[in-house]
Amino acid sequence: MEIIRLEKVDKIYKDHGIPVQALKEINLTIDKGNFVVIAGPSGSGKTTLLNIIGSLDVPTEGEVFLEGENITHRKKSELSTIRLRKIGFIFQAYNLLPVLTALENIEFSMMLLGLPDKERHKKAMKIMEELDIAELANKKPNKMSGGQQQRVAVARAIVNDPLLVLADEPTANLDSKTANSLLDLMQKMNEEKNITFVFSSHDKKVIDRAKKLFILKDGMIVNGNGS
Amino acid sequence: MFFKMAIRNLLRNKRRTLIVLSSIIVGVAATLLYDSINAGMINQMLVNQINSYYSHIQIHKQGFNDNKLVTSYIPDYKNVEEVIQKQDYVRNYSKRVIAFGMLSSANSSAGISMLGIEPGNEKKVSNIYKMIIEGKYLSGKSNEILISKKMAEKLEVTLGDKVVAMAADINGKVNSELFRIIGIYRSHTAEFDKVFVYVPIENARTILGLGDNVSEIAIITNNSDSTLSYKKQLVSAMKNAGVESNEVEVSTYQELLAMIMYLIDIWKQTSIIIYLIIALAVLFGVINTMLMSVFERVNEIGVLMSIGMRNSGIFRMIILEAFMMGVVGTLIGFGIGVLIYLPLSNNGINLGMYSESMQTFGLNNIIYPALDSNVIINSIFIMPLATAVGAIYPARKAMKLQPTDAMRHV
Repeated sequence: MEIIRLEKVDKIYKDHGIPVQALKEINLTIDKGNFVVIAGPSGSGKTTLLNIIGSLDVPTEGEVFLEGENITHRKKSELSTIRLRKIGFIFQAYNLLPVLTALENIEFSMMLLGLPDKERHKKAMKIMEELDIAELANKKPNKMSGGQQQRVAVARAIVNDPLLVLADEPTANLDSKTANSLLDLMQKMNEEKNITFVFSSHDKKVIDRAKKLFILKDGMIVNGNGS
Repeated sequence: MFFKMAIRNLLRNKRRTLIVLSSIIVGVAATLLYDSINAGMINQMLVNQINSYYSHIQIHKQGFNDNKLVTSYIPDYKNVEEVIQKQDYVRNYSKRVIAFGMLSSANSSAGISMLGIEPGNEKKVSNIYKMIIEGKYLSGKSNEILISKKMAEKLEVTLGDKVVAMAADINGKVNSELFRIIGIYRSHTAEFDKVFVYVPIENARTILGLGDNVSEIAIITNNSDSTLSYKKQLVSAMKNAGVESNEVEVSTYQELLAMIMYLIDIWKQTSIIIYLIIALAVLFGVINTMLMSVFERVNEIGVLMSIGMRNSGIFRMIILEAFMMGVVGTLIGFGIGVLIYLPLSNNGINLGMYSESMQTFGLNNIIYPALDSNVIINSIFIMPLATAVGAIYPARKAMKLQPTDAMRHV
């Protein structure tokens, strides 16, 4: 079942007034339950593509479809709601909110959804136990290791049962052992819960686990037609 | 969680928050004290005028207030008096005769406003009897006179001395009467002390040839705040009793003391201006603080946007942080202001060193600050509002961030 489809997506942004083509004629489809990796060297457009898939950015040309619906020209507020309800994000620098504890970080997006205190607390604790991070519940990010923070970030990304989780170079700041452990975790979530993951990475450990791989070079998919 | 987050965000840079908070605390406490002292002064000015002479409502012949002629006595005052007696909001009233003339001693003379009063009733509508500093209040016997300390000094007389009062009667004939000084008073108003003397009403009537007429009836009501409504009721009752409104004039103290009421208005407006000036200073402090706070958190704001927080949520979050600073600062400032205010309102502020100036404005030496609803409303609402308004610009800046750009921000 198709979740995301990009049709002839171009992205041109201006760098100090000079137009730079970040993406060129991208056609891509991602199906439910997939474990997709978008690989490529630095500057190839991986993050830009991930941002467009995640509706954090809009294409200059082309169309983006989410569950068959064209979301290219949706209002900012509508895109916020889409991100809140349907997309989870994992970032290279973890990006947990520093003033909140691990538990509160996980609860935060549920609060935005308007879930009652008790329900979101229960849900957050459950996911923390599943990811084996329950003991971090009351710790703030500055008291956690990088690997622990990234596990909390994973919990935050999947707690609302999103349609897909986008992970932008999630292992880049982690040592090999921690990175593998984190990838094991995400693979487990993919297999057991059928959560769709889309990674941008040039890390071999990530690429090796891909069920589907897109290789980007100079803003273009160079391995096949993107389907 | 929003509140928890806002508090924690404010505590991230304690020193910066404390600086803004201090400016709010000092601003609220200082303006509360300034305002309460002002309110106390103006209340005192008003109360002194009401208690020393004006009372809550005065009744005269129509036109008396514009031209105080001896011939302008209240027509058929007994009918008016009957109406007054029937009003349940009238606590006390007293009849007066007013004459303008001259008071002479063996050494000097001075122009006077002679108030012929019923000593017993007058005690219930004014507190002139409390202002006696030498001798005693009128006993009710004839030919007793009460003069001010200032007048005594001018006429070079003292208790027990004789003085002669002269005034033109209703036919224009100048009459005189010998009085013995029985008491010397000192009111809170220098201008009042310069001219007012008190004599028994019968003596005043004799000098003026008024028969048993009166020039003025002073009324104290049950509630000084309702005088305008009482006036309407009284006018209507008098009309029903056959007293024509074009013959008798009913005036409230607000009308009689127009200058003081005007001062109260000016004070209210000035105090709002002062609040706004302080609020403006706080507002710029808040703009600066919240802008720094937003710029420090660009990356976090990007994350919040990416996980689905709407722009309106970002806006509310920034406003809430500033508003909380405003509320906390206001509560502490208000608390400190009240803590300073309480002993001052009980013991007063002694401004005896400015005694003469104070008396010129009808004030006592000791001022008792007063917390009226105006002061409380100004103190409580203006600062939180100012902080919230001050956060609008930084909040709009935060809203305009693009999540992708914001998350790249280091």
